[in-house]
Amino acid sequence: MDSTLLIPIGMGLIVLGAGMGISKFTAAAAESIARQPEAADKITGAINLPLFLLEGVAILAEVFTFLMLILK
Amino acid sequence: MSVKDLAHTNVSVMDQVGPNIIHHVSNSDISHAIIPISTHIFGIDFSVTKHVLMLWIVALLLITFIIIPVRKFIASGTIVPTGWMNAVEAIVKFIRDSIVRPNVGDKWVMTWSPLLLTFFFFILFANGIGMIPIFDVLGLVNRFVLGVPADPHGTHSGNIINGLLHGGVTATGNFNVTGALAVITFFSIMLAGTLAHGFIKHWKNLVPHGLPIPVYFLLIPIEIMGLFVKPFALTMRLAANMTGGHIALLALLSLMAIFGEMFDSTAAGIGVAFISVPMAAAITALEIIVVLVQAYVFTLLTAVFIGMAIHVHH
Repeated sequence: MDSTLLIPIGMGLIVLGAGMGISKFTAAAAESIARQPEAADKITGAINLPLFLLEGVAILAEVFTFLMLILK
Repeated sequence: MSVKDLAHTNVSVMDQVGPNIIHHVSNSDISHAIIPISTHIFGIDFSVTKHVLMLWIVALLLITFIIIPVRKFIASGTIVPTGWMNAVEAIVKFIRDSIVRPNVGDKWVMTWSPLLLTFFFFILFANGIGMIPIFDVLGLVNRFVLGVPADPHGTHSGNIINGLLHGGVTATGNFNVTGALAVITFFSIMLAGTLAHGFIKHWKNLVPHGLPIPVYFLLIPIEIMGLFVKPFALTMRLAANMTGGHIALLALLSLMAIFGEMFDSTAAGIGVAFISVPMAAAITALEIIVVLVQAYVFTLLTAVFIGMAIHVHH
C-alpha cells in the first residue's frame, strides 16, 4: 500500500484530537458560566489563551502533514 | 477561469486542480515578477511579486484609513471623535484596555500599545484584503469586457492586468511575511525583558531560581527552545490559517469541475454547484470570522509573551 494514503488518516486524527480539546474547553466554560454568570468575562478571558495555543498546535500538525504530502 | 482555459488541453481536470489551487494561494513566480529588478542586492532578488504588491496596497490603505485620520483627529484638538474615527477609537481602546493592559501591566502599557496596535491593524487589513476578490473581478473585466485572452501559467502575454493575476492576494498567507512579523515579536520580547529588568537579569529570569543544579541542565535547553518556538508558532498559525481557508474554499469550488469531468456531463457539474456554492459561501462567512480572530490572536499572544518577559513569576 502506498504510504501517502495514511497521511489523510493522520490529518483526520489531528482534527479529532483538536476537536476533543476544544470541546472540553467549551463544555467547561459553558458549565462554569452557567454556574456563575457574573464571572463570564473572567472565564472567557481565562480560556481564550489556552484555546488559541491548542489551535496553534493543531494548525502546526496540519501544516506538517501537508508538507509530508507535497514533499514526499 | 483557469479550468475553462485548460479544458482544451488533454490533461485530466484531476491533475490540474491541485496546481490550480496552489497557484491561487501562493506567491507569484519570481522569474515573472510584476516589477522585475535585475540587479541583485546582497545576492537577493528584490523583484516585486504579487505578495509584495499586496503589502504595498495594505500599507497604502493603512495610511489612508488609519494614520491620516488619527493625525487629523489629534491635530484638531477635539475630544469627541466623529464618523470613522469613532470606529478606530473603539478598536484602539479595546486593544489597549482588554489586550495590552491586563498582560503587560499599567506601567508598560503605553510603551507597548503602539507596536501591538500596528500589528493588529496591519494583520487585519492584510487578512481582510484577501477576502475581497479585486483581482478576480479585474480578470473578468479583462477577459470579457476588454477581450484580452488569458495567458497560460508562466508566460508573459496580454496586457498589464494579465500579469497581475498570478498568485494569491493574502500577503499574510505567506510564511515569509508572518515570519518577519514573528521576528519583530521575538526581539520585542527581549527588549521588554531588558527594559524592565536589565540585560543580565532578563536572561537570568528565563529559568526559575533556587532549583537543584541537575534540573538546570534539563531546564535551560527547554527554555532556549521555548524562546524560538513562540515566534515559530505565531508564524505558522497565522500563515496556515490564512492559506487553509482559501484552500478549502477553492477545493469546494473545484468539485464542480471534478464532477463535471468524472461523469462527463455539464449537468453533473451544475448539480454539484447547488451544494458547493452555498458551502463555499458558508466557508467565506467563517473566513471573515477567522480574519478577525487571527488578527486578535497574533496581537494577544504577542502581548502575553511580552507580559511574560516583564512579569516573571517563578
